[in-house]
Parts: sequence; structure tokens; C-alpha cells
Amino acid sequence: MISQLTIPERRLALTILVALALGGLLLTIAGQGDPIGVHGLMFLIAGAGGAFLVIAGYLAPEPGPERLQHYYDEPTKFGIIMAMIWAVIGLFVGDWVAWLLVYPELTFDAGWASFGRIRPIHTTGVIFGFGGNALIATSFYVVQRTSRARLPDQLSPWFVLLGYNLFCLIAVSGYMMGITQSKEYAEPEWYADIWLVIVWVTYFILYVRTLARRKEPHIYVSNWYYMAFILVVAILHIVNNLAMPISLGQAKSYSAFSGVQDAMTQWWYGHNAVAFFLTAGFLGMMYYYLPKRADRPIYSYRMSIISFWGITFFYMWAGSHHLHYTALPQWVQSLGVTFSVMLLVPSWASAGNALLTLNGAWDRVRDDATLRFMMVAAVFYGLSTFEGSFMAIRQVNALSHYTDWTVGHVHAGALGWVAMITFGAIYATVPWLWKRKAMYSAGLVEVHFWLALAGTVIYVFSMWNSGIIQGLMWRTYNESGTLAYSFLDSLVAMRPYYIARAIGGLLFLIGALVGCYNIWMTIRAAHLHDPAADSSVPVPAPALQPGE
Amino acid sequence: MSLAHETTVWFSKSYGLFYLIGLSIAVLVYTYWPSNKQHFDKAADSILRDEDRPWR
Amino acid sequence: MFGLHYRLERKTLGFVLAVIGVASIGGLVEIAPLFTINQTVEDAPDMRVYTPLEVAGRNIYIREGCYACHSQMIRTLRDEVERYGPYSLAVESKYDHPMLWGSKRTGPDLARNGGKYSDAWHVAHLNNPRDVVPVSIMPAYSWFLRTPLRTDDLGKHLRSLRAVGVPYTDEMIANAPADAYGQAAPDSPFAEGVTKRYGEATTVRAFDGKPNELTEMDAMVAYLQILGRLTDAAHKPAVAMEAEPAAAKSAEARPSGGKP
Repeated sequence: MISQLTIPERRLALTILVALALGGLLLTIAGQGDPIGVHGLMFLIAGAGGAFLVIAGYLAPEPGPERLQHYYDEPTKFGIIMAMIWAVIGLFVGDWVAWLLVYPELTFDAGWASFGRIRPIHTTGVIFGFGGNALIATSFYVVQRTSRARLPDQLSPWFVLLGYNLFCLIAVSGYMMGITQSKEYAEPEWYADIWLVIVWVTYFILYVRTLARRKEPHIYVSNWYYMAFILVVAILHIVNNLAMPISLGQAKSYSAFSGVQDAMTQWWYGHNAVAFFLTAGFLGMMYYYLPKRADRPIYSYRMSIISFWGITFFYMWAGSHHLHYTALPQWVQSLGVTFSVMLLVPSWASAGNALLTLNGAWDRVRDDATLRFMMVAAVFYGLSTFEGSFMAIRQVNALSHYTDWTVGHVHAGALGWVAMITFGAIYATVPWLWKRKAMYSAGLVEVHFWLALAGTVIYVFSMWNSGIIQGLMWRTYNESGTLAYSFLDSLVAMRPYYIARAIGGLLFLIGALVGCYNIWMTIRAAHLHDPAADSSVPVPAPALQPGE
Repeated sequence: MSLAHETTVWFSKSYGLFYLIGLSIAVLVYTYWPSNKQHFDKAADSILRDEDRPWR
Repeated sequence: MFGLHYRLERKTLGFVLAVIGVASIGGLVEIAPLFTINQTVEDAPDMRVYTPLEVAGRNIYIREGCYACHSQMIRTLRDEVERYGPYSLAVESKYDHPMLWGSKRTGPDLARNGGKYSDAWHVAHLNNPRDVVPVSIMPAYSWFLRTPLRTDDLGKHLRSLRAVGVPYTDEMIANAPADAYGQAAPDSPFAEGVTKRYGEATTVRAFDGKPNELTEMDAMVAYLQILGRLTDAAHKPAVAMEAEPAAAKSAEARPSGGKP
């Protein structure tokens, strides 16, 4: 990896790593006796370890100018491997917390293993670890191809990916020590947030620089979505995490907002994290990989533009539907409903666009599990955006809010849409990246597909059932006009569904493990067959493999 | 001071509507403007063309 | 103007600005009025701030991720009001940095939990929920009882909270560790300062049953016992609701947020 950097880049890398190590050292000293000290030590180890590697490889020969003849795909390879590692971690912990709701004694009397501390490991692991790495990795791949330009330098993509994974690691290790802001999906504390801002700004600059070097006059629509993802996530992250640390040597901070303002800011963040992290970014992925894999242009490019502006505009208003019937002023709630319902239009336009692209290629969908992953993802995207708009209606939300229905809805989107499109994109990219004809085993892709689909369906159906039963039990009155069920009655009624959910999650996890094995074998085979594949020999663009 | 709150609320409630309509018209006009069609078709096809290396 | 968009997207920077503009307007316009909302929310002159012990307890509640399963927001729906108590008002969480309204009820809502159960019940329940509620699926927090509470930095916590808008006085900040100790040690000389600074109604008790030791259990129970009791404001509209049963029966007991 160091050998791919030019000498000035190696020098800059060394400077950054030494600065990181020094920062970590300061944090370690200032944070003695506080969990932040552990994180200081992690920064120190990351910086010092990285600096050691750079020094060790410092005298390696510089890469020649012929590197500019190729796209720079090493970071993408790394990102995809990290995405799969995080997928396994995140899904494993997710299934673990699911079983905790069935067997609450599984915590070993230890703080780090209790539900409240490891649930954010699951959410951060899958959303930011798995989803984030997949987005960054594929965005590097897509922006180079669609711009027909190489990434402008070799250092910043590595800084983005390694820095981002360091952030994820700081985040999940912090939860186990009890470091959290308690803001859902924005749990990491102030110093981790600052680090992410640095990484994210570098990512943004890198992306813009690559686009500025493009040889195609038009910016392909995937890049619009990736761009919106990068930009808006930056805005959301900075605003929602404004906080006052109690001291520079302690992890704890207090949010700048309180009460109703904080609730609105948090769900403006929370909902738009779904919109721009889990939707826009992955739509960018879909608009490249699905046409590419199907070998057909997108059905309607116009529709993709209309959807883009619709999603960018509407989503920002919709956050308040998380706060129906609360102390939030009603006009804000009504605005939230209106825009949530209107969101269905661009959402279904995108889903329909994807499915119509496959018209005339259904035989491939039948034979090729990779393309089928993408097709099912589009279907689930359509389903869960419909469900989302439906649940945003006040009267529906009165029933669904606070129940497992919300959990089911989130997982229909996260497993059915986000994970499926990502697995599809990864199975498509891995052979292209490692210059192989196809994945190691098409049969294992097929196995993964069915495990993932079965897991998702079991999960979502059990949560629909439990959520609706829960919501109905809470509001049922008996003949004398008093509430018919105690809270505990509803809790007992949930148990069979919690078991079913945990089994569904387990199937999904096994699928991801099968995927890891398949990817691992594909990469290994690449090295056996063509050791020089990824360096000098120009290889023609891999042809598509229908029915691989 | 209560005026300030009512003003901002009024602005929030009404502005969104005009903004929505304006933006929708702008986007629709742009996407369906006949001369733009060829650019879009070209863009849609562009990702399927060979892309083994950067253009220099 | 029709080539405008085309030119726009050809210029990367223009495109970036367009996305920022379109995307941020929704959020800004929607959130901005909430920062002037103080002019219209309910008034609660009787509302007090959290004591240092309660702040510490709240931080434990956050640390353990309790908000993942317990909401603190009773909606304006009949069944919620009957099950949990008067619906939550905006003013009640005005000192909550951050708010803990929650999004999921794997366990029951806690917004009006204060005073509902005895201290001893809370201690037993947190120590092992299944001792008192056999079907509970809540994790056991037995280490609360054996972990001493860290109090030396509570002054810094209060100062930081003051920086974001909670009206703590210099005196409260200076005495924060002593007040935390005093609130859980009623017979100690420090107890007096707590009621002096935070009001006569402040509960001063050995929450964990051990007056000589200040544990995390003390802080946690003190916090759980103050939930919904920083002000009486929420109980006032409830009187009006009883007078008008028709209004209370409708799904939306309150005509419009912020203006009860």
C-alpha cells in the first residue's frame, strides 16, 4: 500500500499520522481516569502504527507515471472487505440483542454486555460500518468510471477509508464503556464527531476534485446521489452534534439543544440520515450497478432526475412525523405528514425506474442471483417507502409509534433494500475489481440470496405482527371503559415474535457469512491465477456474465 | 416578541408551498425540455461503454 | 434558463450549492420557528432544575441506553393518558440536554414514573427486574449497588449545562459534589444545602437504603423518582380535561401543540 504513494504523499502521510499520534497522546494524558483516555490510546496506536508502516515502506520505489493509465481501485477493494467484516460484526451483534429480548439473563452481570450498550453497536455496525464502507468504496469506483478520470491522488482515499473505520471503531468501543450522547444513530461523543468531520470534509473534497477532472461533460446521475449523500450527511452531522463537553479530558458532553428543539433536531437528523445515508447513497449505487449488470441503460434518465430533486427536497421536511401527538407544535407535525406522503412520488419513481430497466432482461434476473439481489432491493425499496409514507399519517402513527412495527419497517428498508442492493453491488464489483471472470461460486450467491430473502421476510412479518398486536393491546378498552390489558400482558404476548425475529436475523447473518467465504475464495483465486492482475497489465473491461 | 414567532411560523407554513411549486416547475421544465433529451440519452448509455481506463 | 440546469451540473461547484440550498431549506424553515417557541410554550414558574445527584442519575440512564426501550413522552391520546398520566408538555423537558423522549416502548413509558414506586422497589427492580416482575425482559443492573458514584466532576457538569442554557447558580456549581452526597444522606450536614438551593420539595433520602454510601444506585433512583415532577404544569390542564369529558375522549385531547 505504501508503495502506491508518491514520495511527497508518503511525507504528508507521515505528518498526518504523527499529528494523529500526538493528538492521541494528549488525549491519553488529559483523559486519565476517564474512558476518553482509552480512546486517546487508540488514536495513539493508530497514528504510531501507521507512521511505523509508512517509515518501513518509505524507501520503496515510487509508482511510475503508468499508474495514471489506470483507475485507482485499491481503496475500493479495502472498503469492500471492511464492509463485509462490519456486516458480520453488525449482524452478529444485532442477532445477539434480539436473543437478549428472549433470554434477558444473557448479560453475564456485565455492563458492556447489556442490551442498552450493545444495541448501538448493532446500529452503528450495520449502518455506518457496513453501509458506510460500502458507500465510500463503491462511490470511488463509480465516480472514476463515470467521470473517466482517476482519483486525483493516492493518499486522500486511504485517509478517508482508514479514518472512517477508525471512527467506527472508536464509536462501538465507546458504547461498551458507556460513552454515548443518547442521540439515536448519532451516539458517538464530541471528539469522535470532530474526527468524523475532518474525514468527511476530505471525502467531499476528494469527490469534487475527481468530478472536476472528469472527461465526460455530463455528471452521471449516480454521482448526484453520492454527492447529496456526502453533502447532506455533513450538514446533519454537524448540526445535530453541537454540544458542550464538560472538559477536554472527558468524554461526556451536553447537547446544545434541549427538549422540543432537541427532539426536532434529532429527528430531522434521524430521518434524513435514513434519507441521505440509507437512501440517496444507495440509490447512487443502484443507478450504476443495476443498469451495468443488466447491460441496459436506465429506463428513464429523466425520471431519475425528477426523483433526485424530489427526494432532496421533500425528505428534509419529513422528520417531524417521528413526533406525532407529542409536545411538538401541531403545524410542524402536519407539515411532516404532508411531505412524507408526497415523498412517495419520487420514491416510487425510483423503484419503478429500476424495475422497468429490467424489462426485457427478466431471463437474467431469473438466472443471475446478483441481479436478483438488486431487483428484490428495488421491490423492498418501493414497499418500505410506501409503508413509511403510510406510517407517517397521524392516525396510523398513533398505533404504530413506540411499537415493533417501527422496527419491522426499518428492517424492511435496511435488510430488504440497503443490504440487498449492497450485496448485489458487491457481487458485481468483486470480479471486476480483482479481474476475475466471475465469483468463485454462483451457487453460493444463490444460497446467500435465499437466506437473505427468507431472513428478511421472517423478520419483517414477525415485527409487523408483534407491533400491531402491541399497539392494539395498548389501546383496547373493556366493556366497563377501562384499559383491557396491562403493559405486562403485551410484553408476554411478544415473546413468540421475538423468537421468530431472532431466527430471521440469524438466517440473514448466515447468508452474510456465506457471502464472505465466497468473496474470500474469489480473491484468493485471483492471486493464484494472475498474480500481476492488479498492477501493470491493462485488462479490457470485464464483459458481463449473464447467468454466472 | 410573540410577533417574531408568529412571523416565522407563517413563513414556514406558506413559503414551503411556493417553493415546492416553483422547484417542481423548474425541474419538470428542465427534464422535459426537448433539446435536453439527447444529453440524457447519452448519459444513460455512457456507463455501458467501455471504461477500462481513464481517458487521457 | 433551460440550459441552466445543464450548465449547473457541468459546474461541480454550482451543483454542490444547489444541493445544499434545496436540501437545507426544508430543515431550516421547519426548525427555525422552534427556537422562538419559548414565547408560546406553557409557563412553569414552579419548575426547578435537576439536582447534581439527579444529573448524575440521568447520565447513568443515558450511559446504559435506557432510552432505547423506555420513552419519556406521553402522547395526547386517551389510552396513553389513562395508562401513564397527563400528557407531556414541551416545558417539562426544557432542561433536558439532550431530550430523552425515546422512540420505542419495549418497556413502559417513564415520563411520570416519579413517585409511582418506592425507592426499595426501584432498588430491587434495578438489581434484578425478575425478582419483582417475573415476566420482565429488562437487563439486571446489579452493579449499580456496588459501584460508588463519581461526584468530583459534577461541578463541571453543571457548568457545562449552564453554558447551554440551564440556570445553575455559581453556588450550585461550587457545591455540586457536596449536594450530591447530601441528597442521599439525610442525616449528614450536607443535606440542608440541597433543600436550600433546590427547594423545600426536593427529595432527600437514602435512595439505595445505605445512607453512608453514595452509589450509582442512589443517583439512578433519585433520577427515576424526579421524572415528571420538576413542575406541576402538566397536572393543571388535566383538571380542565375532566371538566370537559368530550374533549378528553377525542383522540386529540389538545387542539394545537404549544397552546393548551
